[in-house]
Amino acid sequence: MRDNRWYALLIPVGLAIVMTPMILLAASGSGTGFDAVVHGIEGRYHAHANRIPFMMLISGIAGIATHGGVHGLHIAEIENLQGPVDGKELNDLVEQRVGKGWQRMIRETSRDSNDQTLIYVKPEGERMGLLVVDLSGHEMDVVQVSVDPNHIDDDMGQFRHPHGKRHDHADSDRDTQGD
Amino acid sequence: MKRYKVLASVLALGIVASGAASAFAQDSLPAASPIEKTLADRATHVTEVTLDKNMLAFAAKFMDKEKDGDKDDKAVKDMVQNLKGVYVRDYEFDKDNSYTAEELAALRKYIQGSDWSPMVHERTKGATEGTDVYVKLVDGQIQGLYVLDAEPKELALVLILGPLDMDKISSLGGNFGIPKDAIKSVKKAEKEAGK
Repeated sequence: MRDNRWYALLIPVGLAIVMTPMILLAASGSGTGFDAVVHGIEGRYHAHANRIPFMMLISGIAGIATHGGVHGLHIAEIENLQGPVDGKELNDLVEQRVGKGWQRMIRETSRDSNDQTLIYVKPEGERMGLLVVDLSGHEMDVVQVSVDPNHIDDDMGQFRHPHGKRHDHADSDRDTQGD
Repeated sequence: MKRYKVLASVLALGIVASGAASAFAQDSLPAASPIEKTLADRATHVTEVTLDKNMLAFAAKFMDKEKDGDKDDKAVKDMVQNLKGVYVRDYEFDKDNSYTAEELAALRKYIQGSDWSPMVHERTKGATEGTDVYVKLVDGQIQGLYVLDAEPKELALVLILGPLDMDKISSLGGNFGIPKDAIKSVKKAEKEAGK
């Protein structure tokens, strides 16, 4: 009976020991990945990111709807981001927090319009992880998603214009002839 | 003392140059040069695209499946899948001549090695702008393309590494961040060379 009481005490204490560093790490945003990127942006620009409720459910539905083409969806939206954003600073901030394996594929920065786009990719076997940080005016969106190009293409194929190819060729022919 | 500083600078430049040369020799994409950083600081709009072999293979999967039946389109897809890397830097400036002839020369020097041959060197007398096209030839096969297209308010640098089919190269323009104008310059140069 006495032993059982000890066990009852040991389990919550053990859980607290295991969970505390994880909770502290998540709260401080000092880790890497999507949350760390969002926390970093929030901290640097004194902004609050809106998370979409039931994201796990939405991500699951997206996975089913795209036949596995899309999953692991994370979205954070920051509205009213005040002040100009320095492209290099934002790039460094994301670079430090995005984590191992992520490579920057695209960076587009515009000094006049306060527009910034960063796209990172991470190979995940047959899939590819994509992390997009997009600032347009005073609104910033951070999106992470894992995509399977084979399934995505199958799904997108049905929406393609049947004569799209002809247009593409005609355009490129015109471009070359124009020289 | 001054002499030591000069010697140290020369040595540092040598290390940077050999590093860049070895990067190209290994068919890997280059690290951004200090000139690119200063150009980016001056530009009003900067686009940087870096795609390695894995990313290109991934991107190729997004190419229209309906076109798979077409031999030409399959060839383009195969070409993209076999590329080793695409490196694009596009700088837009608000004023004319926001870059110097020395900066262009330094960017041109980035491509130096026995395998790289100049294909086009187009200049207007008295103007900084112009177009340079270099190709990397290995055993008579084109294994790389470097385009430096300098317009009054825009500077585009395109490096494509890997086996290239010049007939299919038009399809790369407008894709993977490669400016259409840069590819037009290559096609134009090819036509001129054929005359």
